[in-house]
Amino acid sequence: MITERALMRRVAEGDAQAFTELVSRYSARLLTFAWRLLGNRADAEDAVQRALMRCYTSATRYRPDWAVSTWLYRITTNICVDELRRRTSRSALRRAAESEAGNGQAVLLPAGDGGPAGPGRHLDLRRALARVPREARVLLALRYVDGLSYQELARVRGISLNTVKSQLARGKSILRAALKGRGRRRAPAQAAAAVTTKGAER
Amino acid sequence: MTHESTVTHDAIDEMLFAYFRPVPAGADLGRRVLDRLRDGWDPERFAAQVAFEASGRGISLVRPGGRARPPVSRAAKRLIDRARQELFDYLEGRRAFFSVPVDFSSARPFQRKVLELTHRIPFGETRSYSWIARTIGLPDARRAVGTALGRNPVPILVPCHRVLRSDGGLGGYAFGLDMKSRLLGLESSTPVLEGCTTTGIVCRVGCSAGGRMRDDHRVVFATVADARSVGYRPCKVCRPAA
Repeated sequence: MITERALMRRVAEGDAQAFTELVSRYSARLLTFAWRLLGNRADAEDAVQRALMRCYTSATRYRPDWAVSTWLYRITTNICVDELRRRTSRSALRRAAESEAGNGQAVLLPAGDGGPAGPGRHLDLRRALARVPREARVLLALRYVDGLSYQELARVRGISLNTVKSQLARGKSILRAALKGRGRRRAPAQAAAAVTTKGAER
Repeated sequence: MTHESTVTHDAIDEMLFAYFRPVPAGADLGRRVLDRLRDGWDPERFAAQVAFEASGRGISLVRPGGRARPPVSRAAKRLIDRARQELFDYLEGRRAFFSVPVDFSSARPFQRKVLELTHRIPFGETRSYSWIARTIGLPDARRAVGTALGRNPVPILVPCHRVLRSDGGLGGYAFGLDMKSRLLGLESSTPVLEGCTTTGIVCRVGCSAGGRMRDDHRVVFATVADARSVGYRPCKVCRPAA
């Protein structure tokens, strides 16, 4: 199998076939990542397409000291995070417009779009994830969709290793608390551990 | 300890892995992306064709093409060069605001009011003609607002493309309706806040300090608070928090 860096070289030369090969290797992971962050498939597809367009047009500027996956996740994350920004700044306006138009259910709550993996537990987890601050949520998504290492996460978001660790720990402890709030209990030992990791942040 | 009723570390890991398990994308995604790229739009050529005129105080005219009068002074020439560069960066998605000054002095008082208000519509947002009319205190002047914006001497810099009809229709545009929707599309895919991974500083996209950033040092943030939460600080030049 041709290495990814070699593929990128061919993409930079304008090789459409190399590009589609690269896309087919990453499309599922990128789409899932974007879908889970943005909450619905249509926005996720658009974001991933834009990310891949960027990847194609800036392939000549790709530096081989980056792993191709890390570089792709950086581009995709940048686009998804900006999409999230747009929602926060637009939501007030849109809420007003929607209540006027009388269809308040629109894009804000992507209910029933949990994907094939399913109901029940996923719904709980999605609600719990909504309580996790954006930066930590992004890191969790990258970590669990493709198992990126702490180093890779640090590189994708341009942050230190310690920040990666503390953000992940904080995200998980918020998840744990939120899920516990939904009728589950948590072992006391872990409650203590959560507090320590959070304290270690500074 | 009863393990069944406990959400342990591992259980959460498991749930997360299940939740983020990749779902297959359409097989033709690569081809669709390539189709979207086949557009033929060339920002550099467009920016080179736009005609600018400037007084000593600011840009006074922006036109899709044709001849512009030669700059009246050195200062005017500098302003024009700067406007052309900013326009190019903007069209390339590397700028979320214009810093070059504009000169409305040739506009009459009503048009001036309309232009000044339009100038303040934030990047990536839109307003309606009637919103402008209401805000300047002349709610019945919707059509006059349309006319005043139709004669906008400095389109793009004064973003009359962000003004739409209340029913969602595009209205009109000096550069053509295609251009209006292209600019709106561009603004909805250009980030507004980006951090530099080497300096740990977060800027508004297009900040003079951020322009020197290498491409692979750019990280986009949703809010300044988010950036702070992972150790970035706001730029003192472009003041993204303000």
